[in-house]
Amino acid sequence: MEVFHLVLRNLLARPVRSLLTLLGVLIATASMVLFLSFGEGLRRALFQELSRVGPAIQVVPEGAEGFAFSAYPEITPEALRALEEAGKALGVKALIPTLLLARGGFDPKTGFFFQGLPPGVSPSLLYPGLRVRESRLLPSAQGAVAGAKIAQRGGLTLGSPLRLSPKVALKVEGILEESGGLADNLLFAPLPALQAVLGTKNVGAVLVALRPGQKAEEVARALEGAVPGLKAQTTGEVMRFAERALRISDLVRFGISLVALVVGGLLVANTVMMSVYERTREFGVMRALGARRGFIFRLVVLEALFLALLGGVGGLLLGSLASAAINLYTLKEVGLALSAITPRLALFALGVALGLGILAGLFPAQQASRLPVVEALGRV
Amino acid sequence: MLRAENLTKRYRQGDKEVVALLGFTHAFPQGATAVVGPSGSGKTTLLNLLAGLDLPTEGGVYLGEIPLHRLSEDERAGVRLRHMGFVFQQWNLIPTLTAWENVAFPLLLAGWPLGKRRARALELLEGVGLLKRAHHLPSRLSGGEQQRVALARALALDPPILFADEPTGNLDAEAKEQVAALLFKAGKERTLILVTHDLELARRAERILHLKGGRLLWEEVPSPNP
Repeated sequence: MEVFHLVLRNLLARPVRSLLTLLGVLIATASMVLFLSFGEGLRRALFQELSRVGPAIQVVPEGAEGFAFSAYPEITPEALRALEEAGKALGVKALIPTLLLARGGFDPKTGFFFQGLPPGVSPSLLYPGLRVRESRLLPSAQGAVAGAKIAQRGGLTLGSPLRLSPKVALKVEGILEESGGLADNLLFAPLPALQAVLGTKNVGAVLVALRPGQKAEEVARALEGAVPGLKAQTTGEVMRFAERALRISDLVRFGISLVALVVGGLLVANTVMMSVYERTREFGVMRALGARRGFIFRLVVLEALFLALLGGVGGLLLGSLASAAINLYTLKEVGLALSAITPRLALFALGVALGLGILAGLFPAQQASRLPVVEALGRV
Repeated sequence: MLRAENLTKRYRQGDKEVVALLGFTHAFPQGATAVVGPSGSGKTTLLNLLAGLDLPTEGGVYLGEIPLHRLSEDERAGVRLRHMGFVFQQWNLIPTLTAWENVAFPLLLAGWPLGKRRARALELLEGVGLLKRAHHLPSRLSGGEQQRVALARALALDPPILFADEPTGNLDAEAKEQVAALLFKAGKERTLILVTHDLELARRAERILHLKGGRLLWEEVPSPNP
């Protein structure tokens, strides 16, 4: 019969109320864990993907830092030529103009992402280690090469037609082996074909591959200096940008889950407060027998903490299960695990649950410990 | 020895001042002292002040040389734990703890290890004839049994002072006799202060203090039973 036993006995004495409170905290924590797990999943997928990309620099229009692929192509042929001249002067290995084109709906089964590459440029220059499963790696002027996942999802086989616009149609000429990365979800097509679809000669970004020994930061700054209006980002800068964006998104998602957490905290506070009111005489007896105020305070705070911790652990487990279920779906549909329960997320969730418990327990604990003994005993 | 000097307690009730106890001075020697008087005579107030559960408006309570009224709430709790035991009329036991756990509660506060706590609690329960009920919750004990558990708990740390507030108030005749016998037996070696309406019970004490209107009217030494 240690103090913890007293806490447990009291919670078990009112099992339905304790269970309902526990469920409240559990669901609140699970929803927070799940919300935040998307950020962790995206972070993990993104950094894994960026570390696989071959070129060390990505040149995009100024103001489109981070991920410019989805934006309308803004790099003009003149800017591209100036960039190529600057690249030659700096002795870079290759400059690869590219653009990304989305076709279809939001449903992964009908949505297609095309990445345009200049004629003669292999997708493996962008994503090292790509291998062909069927036919060829390099598409012709009227062909496209499909990543493994997109081919599977879209039911694409060699010769499948790809209608990009009323005037532009391509045929699948090759299918890649699964690489576990972004390339699995892309269709590599000739850049001129995608430009024709968009009715422009512009490109969305220029990827710069460096020779061994070249420093990405220095080359990036030199390219920016040579061609005004463009921003040259190293992989590290993209990662930092992504991290900033993800943190903001984390905060937004945490803000949303905070509503559930506050409700969970109020549930704990309500349960503990009711328990304090019901046990006023009991606390009075304890104080009369020689219990100090701190003992009563600890007893009540421990009750709230225990409920919150148990709910937190349960919520973490439930959140992990939900995360695994979501990953099963997204892995099947888009080939990416979009949700991840990382150790830091688990610790954060438990920390928040504990913090919630302490906050919820402080007021009732203070009330219980400060009650005059004679009042608590009903002996006034 | 516990003594009260010029003990006075005034309450405010709205605009009115109520004098619950006025100028009570008395030293409590070893043995049983009963405090009797009609409702509102100040018996409970006196017990609250003597035990340090409440503070006097004037005067003081001394346990030996310790001025109880000058101690902080937690210091008074410490004094109660080491020097005092309590048996109240009702709401006596912690409902979520079994009989032996209730008895062991002061030992937990005093920092005794579990094994020693259990052994001492069982020994005390045996002393009040409730060893077989050691693992029962209070809700499964009769009123008399609950009071005997409360008495065992009051004796857990072998305190020199024992307070009892209407300890037999809610009991039938048989249970009353059992509790009273155990109480006075325990009170022989200690200072027992017994607050009661029951004059028959009070006459078993060595001294009776008669209170009325918050004042000590007289002290009576009852004649021994024939």
